[in-house]
Amino acid sequence: MLQVKGLSKSFDGFKAVNNANLDVQKGEIVAVIGPNGAGKTTLFNLITGIIKPDSGSVIFKGEDITGLPPYEICRKRISRSFQIVNIFPRLTVFENTQIAVLARFKKTWDLFTPSKKIAVEETEEILKSVGLFDKKDRVTGLLSHGDRKILEIAMALGGNPEFLILDEPTAGMAPEETSKCIELIKSLSEKFGITILFCEHDMEIVFGIANRIMVMVRGSTIIQGTCDEVRCNQAVQDAYLGGSDVCLM
Amino acid sequence: MDLIAQIFSTKILSQIFVGLSRTTILFIVSSGLSLILGVLRIPNVAHGSLYMIGAFTAYTTSMVFGGGNTGFWMSLIIAPLFVALISLIAERGLFQYLYEREHLMLLLLTFAFSLVFGDLVKMVWGAEYKSVPVPPMFQGYVYLIGGLPFPLYNFFLLIIGPIVAIVLWLIVNKTKIGKIARAAAVDREMVDAVGINVSWVFAYVFIIGCLLAGLGGALVAPTVSVTLGMDHTLIMEAFLIVIMGGLGNIWGALLGALIFGLAQSLGILIWPQFGIVFPYAAVIFVLLLRPTGLLKSTW
Amino acid sequence: MEKVFSRKKAIIWGFIGLIILFIFPLFLPRFYVYLISIILLTGLLATSLNIVLGYGGIFQFHHAVFYGAGAYATALMIIKSGLTPWLGFLVGPLVSVLLSLIMGIICIRLSKLYFGMLQISLGSLVWIIVYRWYSFTGGDDGIHGVPLPDIISSPTSAYYFTLVITLISIFIMYKIIKSPFGSALQGIRDNPVRSEMIGINVKRHQLLALIIAGFFAGIAGSLFVVVDNTVFPDMLFWTLSLEILIMCLLGGWFSFLGPMLGAAIIILLRTFVSTFTSYWTLVLGILMMFVIFFLPNGVLGYIEEKLSKKS
Repeated sequence: MLQVKGLSKSFDGFKAVNNANLDVQKGEIVAVIGPNGAGKTTLFNLITGIIKPDSGSVIFKGEDITGLPPYEICRKRISRSFQIVNIFPRLTVFENTQIAVLARFKKTWDLFTPSKKIAVEETEEILKSVGLFDKKDRVTGLLSHGDRKILEIAMALGGNPEFLILDEPTAGMAPEETSKCIELIKSLSEKFGITILFCEHDMEIVFGIANRIMVMVRGSTIIQGTCDEVRCNQAVQDAYLGGSDVCLM
Repeated sequence: MDLIAQIFSTKILSQIFVGLSRTTILFIVSSGLSLILGVLRIPNVAHGSLYMIGAFTAYTTSMVFGGGNTGFWMSLIIAPLFVALISLIAERGLFQYLYEREHLMLLLLTFAFSLVFGDLVKMVWGAEYKSVPVPPMFQGYVYLIGGLPFPLYNFFLLIIGPIVAIVLWLIVNKTKIGKIARAAAVDREMVDAVGINVSWVFAYVFIIGCLLAGLGGALVAPTVSVTLGMDHTLIMEAFLIVIMGGLGNIWGALLGALIFGLAQSLGILIWPQFGIVFPYAAVIFVLLLRPTGLLKSTW
Repeated sequence: MEKVFSRKKAIIWGFIGLIILFIFPLFLPRFYVYLISIILLTGLLATSLNIVLGYGGIFQFHHAVFYGAGAYATALMIIKSGLTPWLGFLVGPLVSVLLSLIMGIICIRLSKLYFGMLQISLGSLVWIIVYRWYSFTGGDDGIHGVPLPDIISSPTSAYYFTLVITLISIFIMYKIIKSPFGSALQGIRDNPVRSEMIGINVKRHQLLALIIAGFFAGIAGSLFVVVDNTVFPDMLFWTLSLEILIMCLLGGWFSFLGPMLGAAIIILLRTFVSTFTSYWTLVLGILMMFVIFFLPNGVLGYIEEKLSKKS
């Protein structure tokens, strides 16, 4: 469904992403892992149009979407959540999610209908599916960190995506919040059929839900394969463990 | 053909020199503005008022000393120092508490000051315009190529301009405080962490910037009528020059002042009624090509 | 504000206010009728600025240009064209819209402070052209004694005209803020990156906001011609732009009616203070400093804080 071929990006001479490759099939859950600074977030930024690549291409459902602006990528039904919580701080949970839904329906050009009356059901549906419905009127400044990360995902769902990119969705979460989040990701994939690409540092989570894993080191793809293939791969071990002979996990 | 070329060239030459002497004043004022903008990140709307205060103070000083050469040189010393004193009080008294707030608040505070200063000038000096006499040593003319007379005072301005530029450059680049100020412009927290009292560095830069405004006012006084309202047009021009040259860049201020001054004087030559529009059009033209200004800005 | 005042109370007070506004010309002297007219149209102007400033987060530093342009367009259309004066009221806002579209397209490529500065440059260019074009615009003198249709030429009828147009305009702007476009605009203000990511074309939405703000500023300009029968270059000058900004700040720029309140306070103070001193600008400056230091959310913001603390 999504193919990344030879993607590269330099910042002032520093190669953040160097010839990265990625392949995601429809319905899969794929994880990107790698040491800090490996370029995972930059890769996500390149795919979602926040920055333009120097070379390489991104193909989605057969269409070349390289370098398109973010709002157009969203229209292609690719949505994304951010690693550092990136929401509308002064609005309520409901309003945050509603804007995403309104944008999907292109209703944001409507100048006269009161906001309160449009897209209410769709927004509530999304909030129910992520488990934030009972907190819908709370201003986001008052939410716990874990709830805010879930709101991130809810906003990404506003665009009714076929493909969801989650940047470290459980970062900073407490254990109960983390398992809730994992359940959510699983249900998004199983119940709603959304293809998911995510990156994480917690290996338990990665090996727990991912169908395939792509490993990035210093901006390049070392390997993409199933959990077992990655676990016992020498290059991955070199990168993470400095060359010892133990299989990961 | 020859005659026309000759007339044309001396007229243009004379206008160019007029433009350049105007450039001096614009540069001196704008460099102060640019300095404050670059290091403190404050768009100092009160800069025009300080220029005006400099001009009025120069008038009074000149009158007190009899309007002659002594009066002139004294005004060049006293007016900028007086303006520096006022700005020190304003900065220590009010500004320093607002450095953590957004630019918009600081801008509005300087606007508030410009309102207050404007009325204070009216209170102290009254509403009629003042005339400052050209000091006797600079009365008369200098003769350019082609025998065209050029006011001696304007010639003096042409010389002062580069002198101020060089002195400013030395202060900013060669003195210890200049280096600290430039570092603080880029990274305030680091300078703080190294144990330097950034607050006083900011005060120092602010005062120098305002002193320049006062100097500009004192220098311009013999060439124009010193009136209320001279602050309003000047601040607009100074801002446009700073924006055109690159925020915080002193050489940018010089370049901008050159373009502005020359565009104005040559513009008037080509199209007398709307010549004054040329510099504004020049600014927009530059900004469309290079939105951040001609030279590197410190932002 | 809705969280603090119950809907019913707001409607009742609003209704009472409306009745007062409609009745008072019958028994107050002409001067007050003129004054309230000015407050209404200036409040309209400040509210239009707040659409892009408070709700859009755009650094609109030279809003007065659209106001002055609308006023000049109206006056010139009435005087020079020989057509029905009512056309002037159509042309005024139209010119403002055109100007905000052109300036918007040029400036929107930049963000934050650079946007503001480019706008000041363009606005100053407009000002100086108007100022120097003596034969067409009257230059420094401005234009006086613009003839108006009889039905709105007396101070009282001019007032009612202003009142009705202002109320309609405010109502429309309120609807816009509450609409999906308004939500998107506030989202853009708070987080442009996120907005872009959820499918909003940020620049285009901002451009529309600029046009809306320019349109209503133009209406305010036309109303000024009705009330005062004059136009002058200062209406395009940067000092007026900053004054309108102060009105928004003073009243409270996170609320819809804040700018209107700010305008009322400043104009009333100015009129009152000017009766015993000619140093109104000094007073304004000191007032501004007070607001900047102690009332950063404006008067309405302060009241809202106090009331929500009580409950």
